[in-house]
Amino acid sequence: MGDVLVQGLLVGGVYSLIALGFVLVFKASRVLNLAYGEMFAILAYFLYWLLDSMGIPAWLGIPILVVCGALLGWAVERFAIRPLMNQSFLALLMMTLMLGFLLKGIIVLVWGGDSFVLPFTPTGTIDVIGLQIVPAAAWAFVVAILFFLLLTVLFRYTKIGLAMRVVAGDHTVAQSLGIRVRQIFSTSWVISGAFAAICAVLVGMVWMVTPEVGDLALGKGLPVLLVGGLDSIPGALAGGLIVGVVESLGGYWAAPVREIIPWILMLVILLVRPYGLFGQKRIERI
Amino acid sequence: MLPSGTFNTRPEQDMAIVRTKTQWLLLLLGLAFFFTLGLYMPGDWLVWLIILGMYVVAVLGLHIMTGLCGQFSMGQAAFMAVGAYTTAVLCTNYGLSPWLTLPISGIFAGLVGLVFGTPALRIKGFYLVMSTIAAQFIVVWLIRESPGIGLDTGGVYGISVPKITVAGEGLDYVQFWWLVLAVVVVMTYFAKNIQRTSTGRSFVAVRDNDLAAEVMGVNLFRTKLLAFFIGCFFAGIAGWLWAHFYGWITPAQFDFRLSLWFLGMIIIGGMGSTTGAIMGAVTIRLMDKMVDPLADAISSAFPNLSVQVAPALSLIVFALVVIFFILVEPKGLYHRWERIKLYYRLHPFAY
Repeated sequence: MGDVLVQGLLVGGVYSLIALGFVLVFKASRVLNLAYGEMFAILAYFLYWLLDSMGIPAWLGIPILVVCGALLGWAVERFAIRPLMNQSFLALLMMTLMLGFLLKGIIVLVWGGDSFVLPFTPTGTIDVIGLQIVPAAAWAFVVAILFFLLLTVLFRYTKIGLAMRVVAGDHTVAQSLGIRVRQIFSTSWVISGAFAAICAVLVGMVWMVTPEVGDLALGKGLPVLLVGGLDSIPGALAGGLIVGVVESLGGYWAAPVREIIPWILMLVILLVRPYGLFGQKRIERI
Repeated sequence: MLPSGTFNTRPEQDMAIVRTKTQWLLLLLGLAFFFTLGLYMPGDWLVWLIILGMYVVAVLGLHIMTGLCGQFSMGQAAFMAVGAYTTAVLCTNYGLSPWLTLPISGIFAGLVGLVFGTPALRIKGFYLVMSTIAAQFIVVWLIRESPGIGLDTGGVYGISVPKITVAGEGLDYVQFWWLVLAVVVVMTYFAKNIQRTSTGRSFVAVRDNDLAAEVMGVNLFRTKLLAFFIGCFFAGIAGWLWAHFYGWITPAQFDFRLSLWFLGMIIIGGMGSTTGAIMGAVTIRLMDKMVDPLADAISSAFPNLSVQVAPALSLIVFALVVIFFILVEPKGLYHRWERIKLYYRLHPFAY
């Protein structure tokens, strides 16, 4: 039972990490980037290619990957999202979904159905005060907490983070305060792309890298996001941990229930508190 | 804008779906053409046509829900699965006649749609899309896991569906195409006609501004749920056709990707137009048909590429087409068609 709880908590950490990538862009530009899953999936494949075919060591490969992720984020914003500024939410939603399809198509085209484990994944389990812990999940959990703190600091104390929040609130006000709205959008996507690279490494460590690894963002990240609140960084962390633990307990009770629990949690939250546990109450009520 | 020399002098003329004698002639010729199409089409194109017919029915449902009433759904494939499994379970396990299950599939899919449509009363737009995505995953999961609670749907492996029989003989492809054609014609008429009724007008009012609609006396509760019911009813009918055509259905056939295909079809065709929905379905299906020769050409040109060129290309082509339409022609093919008609009618003047 204790193992199940701890495992749920650790996996929940990874879920929060995925959800943080969504929150980052949503907080700055009000765009829900549904291509995020495929973004980190293609980055994971790229990392595999770097390490395996090019023979680059991991300590060099990961920084290269982060740079590539930032470039990918920049390109997506510049060529797909910027032309749609001020369009309806459905156009943006479909655009990001279709970008996901495109990236997935490229993955399947280039790598086929290949799946693999990242070479530096620690194996076995470690024993902490009688609890069996998977080291990869523990790493992911620690990194998730670190990034949560980092993002909190970014949005609360740095100039660029404050500017992002103003832009999300009102474009006109932001512009009249001398903030370059386009630059802020671009920056938030670059950061989110770099973040996707970190996600790629950790998700690839915890689960195997398969063509379906990007579906995690939809299957787990989206429920976590809505449970926590779309624009809330503490919400993403709390939502991830809640979903991870409840899912783990549900799976302990009856195995098939496990994969449906995030969706049911999400539906309940949508009905009771549509803006999420920690989100801002700005939803239009009917 | 009407063609020169055509005037609507009575209200009935203004309301008519088929306005002029030329249109009646074209309609009858078109129906005759599609009816005989089954006789001389090669086999693979006939299958293509039949599947197109099912997609058109499902897309028309989505068009009523999304295009007319503004209730976006990314779960249309799941409601199709409900229709397909209703007929499969009733026919295989309880021995009902497929003709009897036709309305039952539609109505049951509609009822499941009502369950997942209830969040629409509290939330709208983006949040509603999320709840329909949840519907997609929950419904498919329920179908897959229901053998665990005693309902035999065959689980992951799927279930066989008996063929539709007329006078003791199973339908062949050509006869099945006629059945599909009949269903498509009836459903298209229904979708066209609903736009002329007060229900259809209240759908449009809710789409454009739900608060204003409520102030004008439209019952939001009833209208939104009705839109969900009708949209999912169409999906259920499409699922019925699907089940009896394939003869074997599995939960994996009705995945999230199929739902997005339907949404892509109405985006390409143009939101809010029945003709547009059909145009979108035909375009996407044609594109998909073109992928196979392209995939063969690419895999023979680059033999060291992976073996799954065709599914990958199908994804890439679909994504590129939808992205192109969102960026360049967000109002869809139907809008472009209207522009062309207008240009033709006004030629040689600019306006």
